[in-house]
Amino acid sequence: MAYHKFLVHEKKDSVGVAITDIKKGEFVKGVFLADEGVLNITAADSIPLGHKIALNSIKSGEFIIEYGEKIGRAFKDINQGSWVHTHNLKSIHWVKK
Amino acid sequence: MSKKILAYKRENGSLGIRNYVAIIPVDDLSNNAAESVAKIINGTIALSHPYGRLQFGEDLDLHFRTLIGNGANPNVAAAIVIGIEPNWAKKIADGIAQTGKPVAYFGIEGYGLLKTIERASRKAKEFVQFATAQEKTEANLADLIISFKCGESDTTSGLAGNPTAGRVAEHLVNEGGTVIIGETSETTGAEHILAQHFASKELSDKYLQIHRNYLKIIEASGEDLLGSQPTEGNIAGGLTTIEEKALGNIQKAGRKEKILIQSVLDLAEKPHTKGLHFMDSSSAAAEYITLMGAAGAALHLFITGQGNIVGNPIVPVIKITANPKTAAEMSEHIDVDISSVLTHEINLDQAADKVLDALTAAARGQYTAAEVLGQQEFVLTRLYPSA
Repeated sequence: MAYHKFLVHEKKDSVGVAITDIKKGEFVKGVFLADEGVLNITAADSIPLGHKIALNSIKSGEFIIEYGEKIGRAFKDINQGSWVHTHNLKSIHWVKK
Repeated sequence: MSKKILAYKRENGSLGIRNYVAIIPVDDLSNNAAESVAKIINGTIALSHPYGRLQFGEDLDLHFRTLIGNGANPNVAAAIVIGIEPNWAKKIADGIAQTGKPVAYFGIEGYGLLKTIERASRKAKEFVQFATAQEKTEANLADLIISFKCGESDTTSGLAGNPTAGRVAEHLVNEGGTVIIGETSETTGAEHILAQHFASKELSDKYLQIHRNYLKIIEASGEDLLGSQPTEGNIAGGLTTIEEKALGNIQKAGRKEKILIQSVLDLAEKPHTKGLHFMDSSSAAAEYITLMGAAGAALHLFITGQGNIVGNPIVPVIKITANPKTAAEMSEHIDVDISSVLTHEINLDQAADKVLDALTAAARGQYTAAEVLGQQEFVLTRLYPSA
């Protein structure tokens, strides 16, 4: 495969970011920003440009990591290659007490 | 390599890249007079806004500081202040006059609208001829105060737009420049990382205290910011949570091995030294740039993902995006397209060079997209309601 279709900030991240629209079922290449390392994943959903793809399976309740940091918590089980957004990921801030 | 620009050297030594005669209304009632003068006299610009009556305490102080600061901005050659009552107009004019630039003020009471317009217009004519007699001198891009903010951000902002801005900040600061960042609310979830970017523990603690105070205001209101942080536009662009948005946002501070933040500024406060500074500020684009104008910013770098179109009447805004769709669909608003960072056709340093070239062109006199399109948002930050 010639071109990457998603980027990953840090090695320990659980999501990558699509840099172009990705179709469901597409076998896509990603590149780590830190060391230019490569990984390949089959997209389980269609993922629009700028949206996140799960790099591995994530259980409901687990933290989701991007930039090597927590960006929130999964509230549903997420399969590898799935679209990660407001339907399965929630902030750990702004939670009404 | 330092970038050579052409700038107006003001009476107090500050450097501007535009040469406005600003007509500043003290209050909502004076907008009509200010705008009428700006229509009659070529080369003037009215800074209209809806506030200035029955404000008090810190909120009133901020009102004065913001209007004085914008009148004192080095892109303004001379200023005229118009208020319904003469005392507050005089207070603002006196503040601006400390820069040494020509200032006059007019009260509407006792004269009425028509006579005020005539008196202010005669003075404005004089000021425009003063302003247009000023000549530009050669200077360096890093001699200017330059402010940064991102807006309508998306994940491309965190991948490329803001890291590019960080590289630009590193370049400018290493050349002896002054850069201001801010957006207190949009550092939420990344405050522990940004805290490591300050030059001392005292500064870091001061920033964290401001951030905690801010969160307390939100909590005390019984509300959360789920509906507005991230915004609808952010979410459409792929940003899911405030943490994710903040982690992208703080990339503008550059790499802490290269530059550190030298002060924590109050709203609309001018930096006292060169280097990188953090201003406690709203993340709303027009309010933010208005505060930066008050702090003396001569130029603003705006990083957008989904396509914010903001401008400012006196501070030219250079807009960059790393989102290829935005660059194509909203091309008239975008000064620099750096989307090729995502495809690895260029790296962050090369993207930063493109942005520095655009900032330099604007600082030599070229109009930015926002200037050509007439985006001139002037918005005052309020701390609490009027009496």
